[in-house]
Amino acid sequence: MEMNGYTVRDGKQVADFAALKDDGSTACGVWIYSGVFPGEGQNMARRRNKGDGWISPEWGFAWPGNRRMLYNRASADPQGRPWSERKKYVWWDAAQHKWTGYDRPDFPDTKAPDTPGQEEGVGVDAHSGSDPFTLKADGRAWLFAPSGLKDGPLPTHYEPLESPVKNPVYRRQDSPIAKRFSRKDNPISAPGDPRFPYLATTYRVTEQYTSGSMSRWSSWLSELMPEMFAEISPELAAEKGIKNRDWIVVSSARGEIECRALVTRRLRPFQLNGALIHEIGLPYHWGYKGLVKGAMANDLVPLSEEPNVYIQEDKAFTCNIRKGRL
Amino acid sequence: MIDAYRRFMNIEAPPAPQRPKGFFTDTSLCIGCKACEVACKQWNQLPADGNELSGNSYDNTGALGATTWRHVQFVEQAKANNSRVGQRWLMMSDVCKHCANAACLEACPTGALVRTEFGSVYVQQDICNGCGYCVPACPFGVIDRAPKDGHFEAGRAHKCTLCYDRQKDGLEPACAKACPTDSIQFGDIEELQAKARRRLADLRARGETSARLYGMPESTEAAEVGHLNAFFLLLDRPEVYNLPEVPRLPRKTMAQRYAISAVVGLAFAALSAVAFGRRSG
Ligand code: SF4
Ligand code: SF4
Repeated sequence: MEMNGYTVRDGKQVADFAALKDDGSTACGVWIYSGVFPGEGQNMARRRNKGDGWISPEWGFAWPGNRRMLYNRASADPQGRPWSERKKYVWWDAAQHKWTGYDRPDFPDTKAPDTPGQEEGVGVDAHSGSDPFTLKADGRAWLFAPSGLKDGPLPTHYEPLESPVKNPVYRRQDSPIAKRFSRKDNPISAPGDPRFPYLATTYRVTEQYTSGSMSRWSSWLSELMPEMFAEISPELAAEKGIKNRDWIVVSSARGEIECRALVTRRLRPFQLNGALIHEIGLPYHWGYKGLVKGAMANDLVPLSEEPNVYIQEDKAFTCNIRKGRL
Repeated sequence: MIDAYRRFMNIEAPPAPQRPKGFFTDTSLCIGCKACEVACKQWNQLPADGNELSGNSYDNTGALGATTWRHVQFVEQAKANNSRVGQRWLMMSDVCKHCANAACLEACPTGALVRTEFGSVYVQQDICNGCGYCVPACPFGVIDRAPKDGHFEAGRAHKCTLCYDRQKDGLEPACAKACPTDSIQFGDIEELQAKARRRLADLRARGETSARLYGMPESTEAAEVGHLNAFFLLLDRPEVYNLPEVPRLPRKTMAQRYAISAVVGLAFAALSAVAFGRRSG
């Protein structure tokens, strides 16, 4: 009920988020789920009526307001007619003066397609009747992003902060606005640094969940992926005299870890600018506690931040490996 | 007469047989997530078997056993030359086949192994005495005895029950329920077989020429063990997935083996008679 929202005075559930007020008379834990428990003993998520259409609006609940597709007004042209008869989804019913269709329209119900946007309007009132993207400031979708992104307006190619090669597209090697943390314990090795000739990437396996701090406490998941390992190609294994399951040390400019080698042909060396460059695959699910423990791949990763959402760059960096233990 | 005896001995009438149910495991859909393995262990409260990296692709549980009743195999298949072209990563969720002519059931001297009303093969734990005859009898290496100091009483035989308890309540087995891709489908055997034939035709039409069904009534595997109530769609020869090309039923060669034993026995008797005869003479 907290999730669905209720009127504070009598504790009655609200029908959906349209009934929520900003004056304190209603309370709601998560507005997108508002409407999932619209009344006493009702749970929209439990509904199992397939119906005969292909949208099944009475099967379960989809947020917000049981809409199956967000921004679905875009399925109709500016005049409110379906773009395609075969794929018609929601449309403007001029006779009844409202939006209708197979799905619940994701648009103000009675706002006609020819309604002009209000110059001083707040929220969707500023949008015209042909602006489907209601959560965007201007109600439009953008192919070209002149504002909002720190590194827009168009996509381009930069090499990762650590890369074995020079950027083949521009003179500029890497993103000029990536956030770096220049500290002694966070060095970045330069392209072609002979100490770290290989590429490394980190990833997940399905059996463990992120850093494994939850899944490594389940015996059933732990037995399926019990130990930290590094995946290397047979070519690199032969070069380094490493056999499957041998202990190896993987090092980067920032640290080194020990783990088992898993030799597999799924890893294939890259041909970059005519040179053969090996790649090491590192799952990052282990740590120092749990039923199964192991080295942390993130100890090798450079600390950095992408300028928009501040995600660190751990899918590509450079490293070296050797047979043996730390 | 039987009814009177049952009443007198206070024996419940056996449950009425139903249309046989089973698994169709379509390996072409398997993504190797192992949800089936975990769901099986959780529903049946089976312990983990140990935490060791096998080095064999992503398979760290190795084989079916007393406490692993679903097992996902990973086959990294490469062409002979060193090119990566045509390389495949095959996945297959293995399980007890619930054979139409089950070797384990034939070998069991105590009656612990039974055919249930759902057509599956089931070990009654309160009757199994741990003799272990079923273990070498199974042509697939499925059934296994519980180890000493383990979760189960040592020695008793265990394997997939086809979720007998869930079926009793009209639920599908835990693995089929958990499988996100419907690689494991549970249902009426005849319907599943029809579905499998359609799926095979579809895959073949789409160029998967080495796809085949394993364990259908008409296929060579059925020669001795009959059709399998847990059957498979494979993308390559059965050996690739560690499955026998023609699973053998020990009973079929029993007369021959008794004869061999008799001959060998007689030969030894004759030899010793000669040896001792000489000494005493
Ligand atoms: S696969 Fe083995 S254990 Fe399962 S029914 Fe057949 S013989 Fe018995
Ligand atoms: S749950 Fe399904 S997809 Fe996942 S490993 Fe098992 S059979 Fe394959």
